[in-house]
Parts: sequence; C-alpha cells; structure tokens
Amino acid sequence: MNDPNGLNDPSDPNGLNSLNGPDGPNDSTGPVGPIDPADAARALTEIDRRREQVLRRKVIPAWNWWTHAALIVVQTAAFESGRPVLMWSGVGLFVVCSLAVDLPVSRAARAAAPHRSLAGPGMAWRTLVGLVAFVAGLGGVAVATAFGLMAAKVPHPVTIAAAVAAVAFAVGGQLLVRLEQAVLVRRSAGRG
Amino acid sequence: MMTPMFDELIHAPTRLSLVAFLAATSWADFAVLRDSLTLSDSALSKQLTTLADAGYVEIRKSFVGKRPRTSARLTAEGRAAFEGHVLALQEIVSRAGHSLVSSEVTEQS
Repeated sequence: MNDPNGLNDPSDPNGLNSLNGPDGPNDSTGPVGPIDPADAARALTEIDRRREQVLRRKVIPAWNWWTHAALIVVQTAAFESGRPVLMWSGVGLFVVCSLAVDLPVSRAARAAAPHRSLAGPGMAWRTLVGLVAFVAGLGGVAVATAFGLMAAKVPHPVTIAAAVAAVAFAVGGQLLVRLEQAVLVRRSAGRG
Repeated sequence: MMTPMFDELIHAPTRLSLVAFLAATSWADFAVLRDSLTLSDSALSKQLTTLADAGYVEIRKSFVGKRPRTSARLTAEGRAAFEGHVLALQEIVSRAGHSLVSSEVTEQS
C-alpha cells in the first residue's frame, strides 16, 4: 500500500497526525491535522462567538421593563387612592397589560432558548438567589422611601415610593440580566 | 468520554456557524437562525436539509395561530458529532502549540 504520509495510521483513526505538509509529524510550520491549526483556531473562535451570541441574545427589551415599571406605579396609585373602582380597575389593567407585554417576550425567549448544559451545575440556584436578593432590595427601597416620605408628611408617599422602586426595577433588572448573561458566557466558555 | 473526531460535514463555514448556534440552544426558530447567521431563507433551508439528512438535526414544523413556524435542534448524534469536532479542533490547536514550543527549544539549544 502506498501511504507515504501515514494517512491510514490505525493508531490515529481521526487523521489528526496525518500530514498535509512535506516534512513529517514534527513539522512545526505545516498543518498538524486535517486542517491548518490557524483554521482550527478560527473555527473555535467562531464556535465561541455563536455560543456567546445565543447567551447574549436580547430577549427582554427595554420597553418591557419600563412598561412593567409604569404598571407598578399606576397600580400603587390606584391602591393609594382608596377608591374601590380605581383599585379594581388598576388590578385589571395590571393583569391585562402584563400579559400583553409578556407574551411576545416569552415567545422570543422560546425562539432560541440556551441549552441547559451551558449553565453548568449550581447556576439555577445562583440565579434564584440573585432574583430573590433583587426583589428584596426593591422591597427595601420602597418601604424605606415610603416611611421616609410619611415622616416628612409628603403627599402620596406610597405612590412616590413605588415610582422610586419601579425605576430601580427597570434599571436594575436590565443590569441583572446583563450580569447573568456575562456569568453564563464566562461559565460556558470551553463547553463547545 | 468523548473522543476527538474531525467532521468534514460540520466544518464547512456556514454549517459550522449553524451547528455552533444550534449546539448552544435547545430549539431554535428558523427566523432566529436566519437573522442571527445572516443567511437567506433558501441558504438556511439547504444547510438544515443537509444536516437533517445526515441525522444531525431534527426539524419541527408547527403553527402559531395561522402562521407556520419551523424550528430546529441538534439530535443526540449531531451534538456528539459537534462535541467530537470541537475536541478535534482543540487537539489540532494544542498540537500546533506544542510543536511550536519544541521547535523554539531546538532553535535555542
């Protein structure tokens, strides 16, 4: 059999030692496998880039955060008014609008959901803890602001406190999502 | 344990991008794939068909209301082939690194 480059080497079924260059397996300048090492490196970079593209896909647009923030303020204002008609209208508006703005977002999320293997062990817990801490932080901001405004006898303290918490929700929520994406990108590096 | 296995079918540039994207997702909609990879409908369709014929991709067609929706995902076989391909690429790069280092050592001595 004429096999000068050892392409049929039984100890190398994948052809990774096969020679495309003239000088043998220790030729440092030529290809060391079925493709050039530079080509292999480019392919790995492309794979990383596509994985990052999936993980950094913007699923929740900014308008969704701000719509929810506005709904929180409207809902709180309706409750603070103390008028049953406004309170129930506020509840109805909140539910209908939340569903309307979340439907396209959930559809977009399902359109290319990241594979579970990318997160690695413990990521679900980490996300849950981050979410609970975020909600607790928002609650703390709202309660502290409301009590501060009440003590200062400012009118509509609860609605103003809700507005402050809503802005923190819209801004902090987007930052939290970006942080989560960055952590996922870092943790998934090298997972193919 | 996964063994390195260079895959010519996956390595073609457009298919590599497509398979790498699919490998990072559970399911991916046709529209998302087309827009993310900046491919035409026909080019994406052709690549998906090639991968499906090889048993690497599963294609699902459904309806959202009256609108047809096509999604794709890597099969277990496709995922294994992709992982083997990634390992093969890593091996090629690391071997090149080793041979570069050994040639530098030879030159210095």
